[in-house]
Amino acid sequence: MNAGAKRVLLTGNHAVAWGARLSRPKVIPVYPITPQTPVLELLTEFHAAGELDAEMLTPESEHSVMAACIPASLTGVRVFTATASQGLMLMHELLHYASGARAPIVMANVNRTIASPWAFWPDQTDSLAQRDTGWIQLYVESAQEALDSVIQAFRIAERVFLPVMINLDAFYVSHALEPVELPAQALIDAYLPPYAPQHFIDPERGESWGNVVSQDLYCRHRQDIGAAMDRVPAIAAQADQEWQRATGRGWGVIERYRCEDAELVIASLGSMCGTAREAVDALRADGHAAGLVKVRLFRPLPLAALRTALGGVRDVLVLDRNFSPGAGGVLHQELRAALYGMPSPPRVHGLLAGVGGVNVPPQKIVDLALAARNREPAAEPVWAN
Amino acid sequence: MTYRKARSPGRRILDRQGGSVTLQIVISGRGGQGAQLAGNLLAMAFFAEGREVQCFATYGGARRGTPVSSFIRVDDRPIRVRCDIEQADALLCFDASLLAGKFLASARPGALIVVNSSRPRGEFASELPGYRVLPVDGLAIAQRNGLGRIVNSALLGAFARALESPALDTLSRTIADAAPKSGQENSQACLEGYRAIGEQLQRAAA
Repeated sequence: MNAGAKRVLLTGNHAVAWGARLSRPKVIPVYPITPQTPVLELLTEFHAAGELDAEMLTPESEHSVMAACIPASLTGVRVFTATASQGLMLMHELLHYASGARAPIVMANVNRTIASPWAFWPDQTDSLAQRDTGWIQLYVESAQEALDSVIQAFRIAERVFLPVMINLDAFYVSHALEPVELPAQALIDAYLPPYAPQHFIDPERGESWGNVVSQDLYCRHRQDIGAAMDRVPAIAAQADQEWQRATGRGWGVIERYRCEDAELVIASLGSMCGTAREAVDALRADGHAAGLVKVRLFRPLPLAALRTALGGVRDVLVLDRNFSPGAGGVLHQELRAALYGMPSPPRVHGLLAGVGGVNVPPQKIVDLALAARNREPAAEPVWAN
Repeated sequence: MTYRKARSPGRRILDRQGGSVTLQIVISGRGGQGAQLAGNLLAMAFFAEGREVQCFATYGGARRGTPVSSFIRVDDRPIRVRCDIEQADALLCFDASLLAGKFLASARPGALIVVNSSRPRGEFASELPGYRVLPVDGLAIAQRNGLGRIVNSALLGAFARALESPALDTLSRTIADAAPKSGQENSQACLEGYRAIGEQLQRAAA
């Protein structure tokens, strides 16, 4: 362990709150929603105890939360918020506005089913439905990764002036109490210097944001956002490598687990990857050349890394804990597109596994993997519940 | 720890991994009884003994009086799996009326069950022959110690004795540190629960 670090028990939610606290944000607008509420409960406790030097705002809705985050960020200060499910849905309009305004906000989203019907289970449709909003998206597997990723996210966001969404699964990560190494404040202060952008809004300065623009200016602005997105895989990898040097923990932009000479690779997002590791170990022990690719950075999708990781593999089994009606699993769609046109591409099997929080134990993944080897991939969505 | 996973044919491939085996526990009670807090306290005690733990609970729809559950995994290696517990090695039941249906189905055959009840062990043995059921009168212990209907300290003591882990002093200290008041009384209830199961096991062995 690093000097000054402490090993403690934290839930994923509380790990997110600690990640935010250590990053020293100056403005935190928040609105409570199950299962994200413990994030803001702990942040308000830090604030009340004088341990968090930030302005906390509690407006009347998530829409107003994001409407507060954007101008706060444009004044040149670090901004953090957290939400889940319906709250993210209500923010949708302003998610586009935030990336367009190049506001490097960091937000944690707890992945939960979207109504209706009403439910509280893990399902990533909420954040995956925001894939076109111009937010960088990371999906994490554990409380430790959630804490580390919040801090890394500020590094990435402030380098490219785009907002970052950290996604953690409801229940299995947000509410799971587990050991977490809490880094010392000094380590974070060295890793993440104060945010000091060249441009910011101040009544004393002649700068503004939000004017009506011409077609050409709008188009060029979109191209600039695209160019910033294109830089993210390398910047995120560098932020992670520096984090690894400082703490001993690296998570990768994608992670390849036991992929050496793999004929079958499981691909997934978030907490499902933890369960898939057990399945991969079991398959390997039984003589099957299986591996896992964890897609940690989903937006932008790290095309080059994925093509390297999955090129030459016979079968890729994509496990989607989300559902886009009329299309299928979102990661399945994205990976098929990413691998299209490769010489001898892998057979990509998409499976809707765990939608709505349906339980997916390791044995289920083992069974799905063994079945996929003997089947041609289907073009249509396949349900595995 | 001596608990082994059930070896049904469906688990054949998973079991071949070898290495350490995760102890899986489900605690169930009614909203307001402290079953979720008990799960966290048990995880904290195992963690204090240097074990890896993962503990999560039902949330959202829980109300006072409705069934709530807490799920705990304990291992010597970091716990990676993120799914429900379907074959628990041990159950802790705060209310004997819950010892049926979905909750009971979450236990593997032969699982250890500690239940809050004043009924004798023999009755449970004949009603639930596939399990090892140890009743403990948590309510009587709680009331003796001025804790009213707050039975979780007594039940945790009983459960720790039945599991042979965590150690009584670790658990007792964890409970006393976490209790907002009546730390002494909660420690004493934990000790009495621990002893009640100890005596029961001694009688059974005699």
